[in-house]
Amino acid sequence: MKTLLPLLALGFLAGCSTVLETGDRLERGLTPPDAVNYATTRPEGGFTTQLNDARIGNKIELLAARKSKTDGGYTRVQFDLRNGSYLRQTINVSFEWLAADGTVTESQPNWIVTPLEPGALTTVTATALKATSAECRLRLITR
Amino acid sequence: MNKLFLLACAVFIVGCGTPATYKDPQGRELVVSLDKVNIQDFATAGSQMLQSMISSPSFSNGAPVLRLGTITNDTADNFDTSLLLSKITVPLVNAGRVTLLDNEPAADASARPKAEYVLKGKILEDRSNAGSTRQSSFVFQLTLVEVKRGVAVWTDEKIVTKQGTKNAVGF
Repeated sequence: MKTLLPLLALGFLAGCSTVLETGDRLERGLTPPDAVNYATTRPEGGFTTQLNDARIGNKIELLAARKSKTDGGYTRVQFDLRNGSYLRQTINVSFEWLAADGTVTESQPNWIVTPLEPGALTTVTATALKATSAECRLRLITR
Repeated sequence: MNKLFLLACAVFIVGCGTPATYKDPQGRELVVSLDKVNIQDFATAGSQMLQSMISSPSFSNGAPVLRLGTITNDTADNFDTSLLLSKITVPLVNAGRVTLLDNEPAADASARPKAEYVLKGKILEDRSNAGSTRQSSFVFQLTLVEVKRGVAVWTDEKIVTKQGTKNAVGF
């Protein structure tokens, strides 16, 4: 009984979330942080990128950003992304809209999860709700 | 010594567990449940359907008058369907893209505009498992009906699928 009790206690500990948290911290310490990366359309065309997660450059390629207007005059953008790695990747994207002066006009309240097979292309599209939204900032993370 | 060891084990057990903390409801560290629709699932389905809806010709100009129809919850989970609808109506109303009719009767009924469109839909679920791996799919269906002609002018379906052996945190 005396040997059983400590074993039982250890069993409880193994199933407890504190142990998992330690593992999570260990994993995060061993790998670079999965930071958010940005691609922003420019008024003159094309886009600028801000890569905060160095690993993403070897995995996800941002091929193009297209900007157009809907019939009602609202801005619509499309970003072409490609999984350039040899492994399946899951990308998470979200959009923010900026006015011509750079102020944020709209923000998407969620991440869109998109699994991408090796070599696969995907196009993510967003349409502004407000007429003042001129440029789009794509937020991108991989997991 | 044995008593001390047992006491130490007991202290560990009592101290174990994660204290509750506040999380960003738009963030990446939310609980993902296999057996229910999570708050982020409503946000994902709602925002994707919103994007699809505003791309339809009915929303190309002006602010059409919209009335909310019935959203049927055909899942085993009990939730308020306004969790989905609010993800669509809040951005639309605040951006001035629709005129949303209130459910309450107007003080001056003659001043109340007539609904041009009705938004209605259904939420369904499908569950399956292989061994210990469970999979839940929640299907969000919405239809925009033009009242005058009684025809659907936009319809969309979004499926949120989750798979795993147990609930987890984050994506």
